[in-house]
Amino acid sequence: MTGHVSIKLASERVNHCVAANNELPRFYTPGEVISGMQDFMRGHGTYTEDDCLKSSVAGVMQKVNKLICIRPLKSRYVGEIGDVVVGRVLEVQQRRWKIETNSRLDSVLQLSSVNLPGGELRRRSAEDEQMMRKHLQEGDLISAEVQSVFSDGSLSLHTRSLKYGKLVQGTLVKVFPSLIKRRKNHFHNLPCGISVIIGNNGYIWISPQQQDILLEDNKDEIQNYELQPVSRTDRETMARVKNCIAALVASKMMLDDTSIMFAFEESLKYDNVKDLLDPEAMLDIAFLAQHRINTVMED
Amino acid sequence: MPLDFRRFNGPEDSVSYTRFTQDFLKSYDELHNELINKSNLRKDGRALDEARSMFARTDMISQAKGSAYVELKKTKVVCSVFDPREIPHQNEFSQLGQIFCEVKFAPFSCSRQRRPAAPDAEDKSLSVALRQALEPAVCRHLFPNYQIDVFVYIIEHDGACLAAAINAAGLALADAAVPMYDIITASSIAIIGDKMFVDPTEEEEHVAMISPDSENVNHGIITMSMLSELKQVSDFIQIGSMDTDCVIKAMDILEKECAKLIPNIQQVLVMNVVQNIEQQKKLEEEAKEREAALNAKLEEWKTLLNAG
Amino acid sequence: MAGPLLSSTEKIFILHGVQNDYRSDGRSNIDYRPMELETDVVSHASGSARLRLANTDILVGVKTEIDVPKPDNPGKGKIEFFVDCSANATPEFEGRGGEQLANSISNMMQRAYHTSQAFNLKQLCIFEGKQCWKLYVDILILECGGNLCDAVSLAVKAALFNTRLPFVKAALMDGGNVDLQLSDDPYDSKQLDIGCAPLLVTLCKIGDKCVVDPSAEEESCSVISLVVGVTGNPKFYCTEDTTNILNVECKCSTIGMNGPGSVAPKTLKDAINQGIIAAKCLDEALGKALLRERQETIVMKKHSYGFLK
Repeated sequence: MTGHVSIKLASERVNHCVAANNELPRFYTPGEVISGMQDFMRGHGTYTEDDCLKSSVAGVMQKVNKLICIRPLKSRYVGEIGDVVVGRVLEVQQRRWKIETNSRLDSVLQLSSVNLPGGELRRRSAEDEQMMRKHLQEGDLISAEVQSVFSDGSLSLHTRSLKYGKLVQGTLVKVFPSLIKRRKNHFHNLPCGISVIIGNNGYIWISPQQQDILLEDNKDEIQNYELQPVSRTDRETMARVKNCIAALVASKMMLDDTSIMFAFEESLKYDNVKDLLDPEAMLDIAFLAQHRINTVMED
Repeated sequence: MPLDFRRFNGPEDSVSYTRFTQDFLKSYDELHNELINKSNLRKDGRALDEARSMFARTDMISQAKGSAYVELKKTKVVCSVFDPREIPHQNEFSQLGQIFCEVKFAPFSCSRQRRPAAPDAEDKSLSVALRQALEPAVCRHLFPNYQIDVFVYIIEHDGACLAAAINAAGLALADAAVPMYDIITASSIAIIGDKMFVDPTEEEEHVAMISPDSENVNHGIITMSMLSELKQVSDFIQIGSMDTDCVIKAMDILEKECAKLIPNIQQVLVMNVVQNIEQQKKLEEEAKEREAALNAKLEEWKTLLNAG
Repeated sequence: MAGPLLSSTEKIFILHGVQNDYRSDGRSNIDYRPMELETDVVSHASGSARLRLANTDILVGVKTEIDVPKPDNPGKGKIEFFVDCSANATPEFEGRGGEQLANSISNMMQRAYHTSQAFNLKQLCIFEGKQCWKLYVDILILECGGNLCDAVSLAVKAALFNTRLPFVKAALMDGGNVDLQLSDDPYDSKQLDIGCAPLLVTLCKIGDKCVVDPSAEEESCSVISLVVGVTGNPKFYCTEDTTNILNVECKCSTIGMNGPGSVAPKTLKDAINQGIIAAKCLDEALGKALLRERQETIVMKKHSYGFLK
């Protein structure tokens, strides 16, 4: 039994920069004038002074009709209705759960916006309120959809669909929300046999694929299933996906199912998953994945 | 370290007079050879694997909730445990109770130098070690957001003071009726070359801490505390230099030594209860007698009144 | 320090992984994450090193001063460790917040360096009974991403490897006082013999197995960790032919426990053995990296990278 230790020197540091084929966007720095005209609307990351619209953060401009926003790389998540998020229960309160979703303020999951056991159409009783902690506990992870945005920017979530709800065994990877590509679908069963949920808020959940035993009546079985050890092969694939995501993030590449899958396929030339922790291997994978994305885009 | 100006600190650059005595000038080999005589006995007549007999009692300090006194020949330790109190200066709720430990040496406790009044690094590290040893033993979930204070004062130090402190603290906690999973005991061992001194004296510890000139000789001290019934090690502190076989061998010896102390401590605790019960009985009897006397008096008065 | 919040099923996933000897990022139980090392980063120190292990960032500077040796150890120098937990690392360290952690790390280091088989203080002697070198090892925790002890001990060893003591040209006795003349040529200096300097390995108990270099998530699954200090092997640190150097066995120089839990004696024994294996790998990797860097400095003028990235 020997351990694997690698100590690199600073002179051997790799530059994680991967050149994309499209040219770099215009960057703005705080205080920089974006536009002088008044017929634009002030969005996040901007402020007005002397009839000028100025940037308040360092980032790239995003224009939706007349609304101008500046998005920094390291921003916290700004929610939009319909987004898929992964969050962690922080607190159980009266008729609602406080959920941490990487946004500025904690999000809220109302008791009325979850599916409780026993079918859709059911009155919520006082008993349900007392059973809230049985349903979701502090520390539990959930996947949910943004139902509405409150005036202060905090989010109200819902899990009223079978695909949402509590997440069981797996690992969570946290990345910058600005690296997540908005897609129609954020639930993916990757062809390598595991499923990922790419939350819009930058939380990515990697888990083995669910077998369809989630019927309402065999509750004990679900309980058991939650505690079953994950098989070694699943575990290896999950670790590989996790390290691939880390490699893509290190090179600041956009994440979606295609880029993750490309990176995964490129990583297969490294037999040992732990070799992917090496900065050089990470760069290699990110580079190859970017190359494939470029060729796909050209076609 | 900043000086504590409220106390008289004594001259700073003074040296102990023992520096100029014959003993101080002895070389390592002389010190080493002195520890054991020809018949393989130590200076105080013990065999190598023989621990000093432990004397322990509780209720040393009447105002504390629980207290204990432990004596290993010349090592003397007092410990007191106070009622749980809310953790001061804490704004977050803690699910588990905390244990606050403080170990202090008396200024005159050590033979080599006078101890400073303010706690130094050794006091602090002993306090940390003591807390580490006690934490797994106490049912901390029973008093959330509270802390139990454990104070240990080392009156005289003649080796194995951490082990004595842990034993005393375990006994004091039990005496204070703090719920515990198991009785906690500790023992220490000094290793010099191929010899292992169970329950070392200060002199033996001193020699064990000096690195011998020849390379590759094991030396050092190990202190281990155990929850013997649960077969769990709650703290393990090794210092010095030794190979793994030596550590593991010492661990086995210490495990046995810790187990040996259990009956001793159990006896102290049981005796305590027995004494308490006896005392209570005595009090009850006295009360009964008094009541009977009063009743008799009452009858007497009644008859007197009736007669009157 | 309170770790991140985890759900019970996530903890089970990690626990099963440790039992399978396959952790969530593909490492086995005795694998370390890649590290990055640079020595000679602080110009005003006699020796310095910066080590980055995942999110943990340690900067060590060694300052040398001249002191009077202790009366009971006239032929030996002194070494002292100070740890500073900067509030840059986490807001928890603000004020006196990091003091306890800093104390426990410096205590651990002091204990590990106590024995002369780990670090021979005789090499710091200038004039027996009168003058000696005193090394102040200042450890700065710039970023805290778990597994501090291991990172600190590696960085300290690297900084000591980098430390140079000026040669003493002459020492004159002048009525009981010693008058030293030091060489002012920076290249006229000696290196320290740190081949045996100990490395600390933290073993985090998860389930009934132990892992080295735990991630923050793994740390929060564990209630107790064991820190084993293991002396190094000088053969990894010298460029000459290593055959004539005695192969020194790795020995435990200190063992301590951290955390509110307890362990079974059997687990403890296994963990010590595991720690020694891990320390050997660490030592070899560190030696290679340091020698590689020294080679680079000789071949070309070393380009200092420092904190720019």
